[in-house]
Amino acid sequence: MDADELPLIADSVAFVKGLKKPTVADVLRSAQAQGLVAIQPRCGVGGHEQMRALLLALEEGARPDILSLTIDSYTRLNQFDMALSALCNAPEELNGYPLVTHGWRRGRDLNQAISVPLEVRHGSPLPRRLFETAVASGITSFEGGGISYNLPYCKDVPLVDSLNAYAEIDARCGELAQAGVVVDRELFGSLTGVLVPPSVSLAISVLEAVMAAHAGVACISIAYPQSGNMVQDVAALRAIRSLAVRYLPPSVDVYPVLHEFMGVFPKSRARAEQLIFAGALTARLGGAAKVVTKTIQEGYGIPDASANIHGMRLARVANAPFIHSIRLDESALDEEQYWIEREVDEIVGPLLEAIDLPLAISSAFEDGSLDVPFSASRHARSSVMPCRDRAGAVRYLDAGGLPFSEDVRRRNRSLLEDRWLTADDHERMQLLMADINYFLEPPGEQEFDFVPAVVESATQGSDPEETYVA
Amino acid sequence: MKNEYCPDRRTVILCVAASDSHVVANHIIAYLLRSHGFNVVNLGACTTVSDICDALLRWPEAEAVLVGSLNGHARQDLADLPEAKDRGAITCPVIVGGNLSVAVDSDISKDAALYALGVDYILRDPSMIPAVLDRLRVQRDDDLAGSPASPRIEEPSNGC
Repeated sequence: MDADELPLIADSVAFVKGLKKPTVADVLRSAQAQGLVAIQPRCGVGGHEQMRALLLALEEGARPDILSLTIDSYTRLNQFDMALSALCNAPEELNGYPLVTHGWRRGRDLNQAISVPLEVRHGSPLPRRLFETAVASGITSFEGGGISYNLPYCKDVPLVDSLNAYAEIDARCGELAQAGVVVDRELFGSLTGVLVPPSVSLAISVLEAVMAAHAGVACISIAYPQSGNMVQDVAALRAIRSLAVRYLPPSVDVYPVLHEFMGVFPKSRARAEQLIFAGALTARLGGAAKVVTKTIQEGYGIPDASANIHGMRLARVANAPFIHSIRLDESALDEEQYWIEREVDEIVGPLLEAIDLPLAISSAFEDGSLDVPFSASRHARSSVMPCRDRAGAVRYLDAGGLPFSEDVRRRNRSLLEDRWLTADDHERMQLLMADINYFLEPPGEQEFDFVPAVVESATQGSDPEETYVA
Repeated sequence: MKNEYCPDRRTVILCVAASDSHVVANHIIAYLLRSHGFNVVNLGACTTVSDICDALLRWPEAEAVLVGSLNGHARQDLADLPEAKDRGAITCPVIVGGNLSVAVDSDISKDAALYALGVDYILRDPSMIPAVLDRLRVQRDDDLAGSPASPRIEEPSNGC
């Protein structure tokens, strides 16, 4: 559609300045200063007019602080001809907005249509063209990292390749910051979204953040996925601050971000709402600058606009003044935070001494001293097996080749229920599946008082007030 | 591949079918088999029959191929299996497991179709895998010891 040349960097900088709205970095700074949590949905449809209508509906319906362009999977894999073909023949079948195919002029059109800044959310291991199109569109936040957007999303892209691609992007962010526009880089600590131990999530974000800061990135968001145990989650969000102080230069702004639960979502409206609100509350109590929301349709597929608006409004309740007085057990938080940071230190410590960090990371994944559970990629071993402890917090059933001290291993073991020791194969399978489906209600309890709309992009722009009158 | 390879251990090839990207059960099965002392060559999501043949060239000692299929396309994804078996590229038993069809009531016909493709064993409970591997190995050793014709592998009796 739009294969012409990208504008010069000065032109894109002037465009951002001319938008007369805050950048994502401005929004995060302001939220943090007020002790509030900025609200952001995930959203993306194929057609341009449909995308604009969706953004306007979400803005009108829930007043989010940041809006998203979620990118389709063809574009994520750089299959631009496939994206073009889908766009011409059946745009409603795309699972996101093909920004590269639409081109930067349409990206600017979306940006001008709304009053809040945009972030590109994708899942691409090699996103050079997507990034350049996003920058030319005046988009001031770009998600992903060379590890976190590789291992969960593709089968056979070498880590060195994706790390190099993100190093280029981070360097471009450095140039843009010099030119006067800060592009926030959100690191995808949610990884595979299934029982990700906090120290795995944070260790990988620390490594990506160190590389980003080195390349000149001025604003880094470290995203952590809600596990569902509030003490563990708040401790993890707090740990992001300490880890930033320890590992990153003071010149970089670092913001903790919470991704509402990424795993198997409950199907009933009541349970889904509980989980969404618990996530937003966790974000507020943990001092997150931003929460990326989920919806009551999560267990059924891609949400429509109404459900998305409802999810954001529900999350916003956690910004109410009265929440400020809620206190968790500080000694439990301190203990959990201590161990999370210690585990992260033990994972990243040896690597950060390496001269060539991308190479060291790639080798560490090969030998298992860096690992993520449930990876889609053959470049991670996934020898790590997580499970939930008595309180529902995510622990290591098996830490695989992670270089943990005996102290860390002992504490992990001590928190696991004895049943893990005595279970036979069949029971272990059942226990692991039960932990993965922790929030999924038993089949008999899945009746819901909300009939999810059939997922069609045509419904995404509908008037939210029909369903959710405040 | 992903795991530490020990020459003195039994080896299996594990994968998810060609059109399927569900890796959670795949990783849990790999974990269980490794805890039983197997070398697990895990080819992961979206593995074609041709990928399996390539892996068997590299790990000819593999005693079985385990294919997971959760999206209901097991039959289509294994369409190349008869050809691979005919030309001798796959000689060890092929075990298929998972949600093998989208419609629950058509399980039996789907099973028949998979056996017709040359699948040796169909499993719905992954915790049965080690026991089935043991049984298949005993069977193979008997065959090598000169038993008459190789018996057709029997259906699992308890519906597993």
